[in-house]
Amino acid sequence: MPNSQASASTSPPSRRTFLASTAVAAAAVAGGVPLLTGCSTEEGSGKGGTTSGKELKNLLPAYAASKVADPDIPSVNGSSPGYTKAPPAAELVASVKGKPGHGGSYTMFEPLWGTPPPKNNAYYKAVDDALGATVKFQPQDGNTYGEKLGAVLASGDIADIVMIPLWEMGGRIHGAVSAKFADLGPYLSGDKVKKYPNLAAIPTAAWQMSVFGGKLRGLPMPSRPLGSVIPYYREDIFTKEGYHVPKSPAEFLALAKEITRPKSKVWACDDMWWSAQRFFGCPGEKPYYWIEKNGKLVHKVETENYLEALEWCRKLFAGGHVHPDAVAGKANDALTRFTSGQTLLYNDGEAKWYGATFEQAGVNPDFKIQGMDWFGPDGGAPVIYLDPPAQIWSFLNKNLAKVQIEEILALANFIAAPFGTKEQRLIDYGVEGVHHEMKKGVPVKNATGVRDVQDTYRFIASPQASVAYPDFPRMVEDYCGWMRRMGKFARKPLFYGMQIQEPNRYASLYTPFEDLAKDVTRGRKSIKDAQRAIGDWRSGGGDRLRDWYAGLLDENGSGA
Amino acid sequence: MAEPARGALADRGATPGRDAPPAPGTPPGPGTPTARTGRWHRLRRDRTLLLMVAPAVGLLLLFTYVPLLWTTVAYLDYDPFTQGLWSSPWVGLDNFTLLFEDSRFWDAFANTLSITFIQLVLFFPVPIALALLLNSVLSDKVRGLVQSILYLPHFFSWVLVITIFQQMLGGAGLLAQQLRAHGHEGFDLMTDPGVFKFLITAQLVWKDAGWGVIVFLAALSAVNQDLYEAAAVDGANRRRRMWHVTLPALRPVVALLLVLRVGDSLTVGFEQILLQRDAVGPGASEVFDTYVWWVGIANTDYGIAAAGGLIKGAFSLVLVLIANKVAHMLGEQGVYRK
Repeated sequence: MPNSQASASTSPPSRRTFLASTAVAAAAVAGGVPLLTGCSTEEGSGKGGTTSGKELKNLLPAYAASKVADPDIPSVNGSSPGYTKAPPAAELVASVKGKPGHGGSYTMFEPLWGTPPPKNNAYYKAVDDALGATVKFQPQDGNTYGEKLGAVLASGDIADIVMIPLWEMGGRIHGAVSAKFADLGPYLSGDKVKKYPNLAAIPTAAWQMSVFGGKLRGLPMPSRPLGSVIPYYREDIFTKEGYHVPKSPAEFLALAKEITRPKSKVWACDDMWWSAQRFFGCPGEKPYYWIEKNGKLVHKVETENYLEALEWCRKLFAGGHVHPDAVAGKANDALTRFTSGQTLLYNDGEAKWYGATFEQAGVNPDFKIQGMDWFGPDGGAPVIYLDPPAQIWSFLNKNLAKVQIEEILALANFIAAPFGTKEQRLIDYGVEGVHHEMKKGVPVKNATGVRDVQDTYRFIASPQASVAYPDFPRMVEDYCGWMRRMGKFARKPLFYGMQIQEPNRYASLYTPFEDLAKDVTRGRKSIKDAQRAIGDWRSGGGDRLRDWYAGLLDENGSGA
Repeated sequence: MAEPARGALADRGATPGRDAPPAPGTPPGPGTPTARTGRWHRLRRDRTLLLMVAPAVGLLLLFTYVPLLWTTVAYLDYDPFTQGLWSSPWVGLDNFTLLFEDSRFWDAFANTLSITFIQLVLFFPVPIALALLLNSVLSDKVRGLVQSILYLPHFFSWVLVITIFQQMLGGAGLLAQQLRAHGHEGFDLMTDPGVFKFLITAQLVWKDAGWGVIVFLAALSAVNQDLYEAAAVDGANRRRRMWHVTLPALRPVVALLLVLRVGDSLTVGFEQILLQRDAVGPGASEVFDTYVWWVGIANTDYGIAAAGGLIKGAFSLVLVLIANKVAHMLGEQGVYRK
């Protein structure tokens, strides 16, 4: 994540005046909802809010860049830097002197997308040995993590370190973070972070997203921009069959028709609802789902863009171009359908670009995944709203003693070492000869490495986002190239970079729209039903939520 | 379980006979001992049975009655993370009001009732019919084999069952692909909201009908074979023997299971439905249990979810009372008798 974005979003807010009109105040009083009175969330309250301005500045760690290796593909238009070559083990830099730990032992509760590695494996042993402390992982199925998380947080029996992604912070979980986890401000705010140089090199925008309930609580994993959804296509099959990559929603539909051959068990695509929203310039997800129009906040579902996206996606489904298993909602197997050639287009998070490349390299050497360039509704320039600069955090149990928190932060500093360091090589590739071999000068994981070296320690802390897969330089070039091209069209959403907790009473207001989109795109409900649902949303609390956000904007300024 | 407990504690006390030999020294006469000594005496006489039932009662108390205290959550704006049970604000019946105002709740309500009805009609008789068929198979070997095949799907998880159905009947499934290969149109049963309720009943039959046979087979094995012989001697044909001997023998078991089933009927396959919810949408598939799960576990609106759970419990109780009454009217024991 480039730091230009970080500095922009932490600039002092320009106080908005357009919403301070008496009309809004009157509406808020009539609705029985007092306008937000402070700019900070109260600890453990269900009232919600955000933190901004001077108060925020005082919490944020000071930024000190760390330069270890120059990227082979520098950042352009906010893209993440790419690394296509790997330094030999002898040239790797040690960013941490000695062992950071003092023999402590900590439990960690985290999601895992994959088969859990065996306990006490050689990778855990090697890393724990290098850390000088033990981390005992309690990996959970990533796809159902949220269901466990609520129960675990409510039980009070909470691990020392807990990873929570933004998308699992629905309902009251956001408030639970403030109630259950330690304030890291006393250890990291301002210049205190300099004790942990690798943490100090995490971009400020990511830290800003780590302020929960008015305190700095999270250790962020900085995210790549525009990574939450990417439309992938099978470049190998496109080339072979002579398909042209579509440049507009209409071309997409035409191509989908051309590709679909149920008799040969080939359908054009999976569920493309997330892409449809990008094609038609819809704003993002909660709480970044507002745009400003004529001085008024407009929710994503109220925009024409949203209805257009629904209508387009409905056509895609109605045409029979979507794989039947995707119609049946079997989203977990989307990647398998794509890699097996049953679908040629599908959308997913950025992790799958490398994941699919890596997975297919041995099985199907011809396999080539490529990102399709975004386009606008008529094929022109798209409007893409940036994803939050951090969407994954680890939190430390508030019952930990000061020395324990300091030890964990030292471990996190080790784990957050950037590309080109010994620490990064160990965390991401394990031990040479055990988990990876050097082939043509790059580390390549062997079977043991694939089994044991997964994102476990990685979720404790991460350096600035980069695309560093020297084992697949073409993939790095493709992905960085895509980011550089798409970065031109990126814009910040209204509340960009702000960590916002909605009041509890609005927590489930937006939930029905997930089902609604599935129903409308699959033809079970009509666009009229959608419009009715939007009306219900307004009267059921949407208008009051709008006033609440207006107050927030008035107090804190915009993040755009 | 209800049978020996009830028998031991209530009815038999007054009619000591073959089941309960009188304890030595204190012969219980047909006269009327004082209530107190009677109770003490009965406790002493049944102490072994009471001991045997104690663990089950203990578990019932611990896992069913103690958690009942937490139903107060239904009257709170419950936030276990920041406030806990004691300091969450009391909101009276607000959660119930919110629940009744939610159209999704009423969808779930309607779906639950219709699925219950469909399964009662289409699922419940299947194990009985299977049991009768199996009972008429004379070869032990064949019967054992068929039974094993019928039981097997019971041990599959729902994930597996639904995957098998998807692979067979889905739009890219075996049948659809075979049709396409022979120049016909494909079909997709798995995403059709119209047939969903019958689809899940079919899944249930495939998975659990064989397992349900066990109880009925046990009941059938208890039928006195002499009755069949006597009936045959009297000139009753197969059908008559089934009508006059077999079915009457099954009647108490059928009545008991029917009452139990009705009491449990609002629980219509949580996992099975949750896994297929996206295929047909909540309009056709949301039931009480999945609704409560979404509201409570996924959305953390624990208060509303608890209110939903209470409504379901109350409704189930009413159903059990009605079904039991009906069983009594038909001259059967039902689950209990006052």
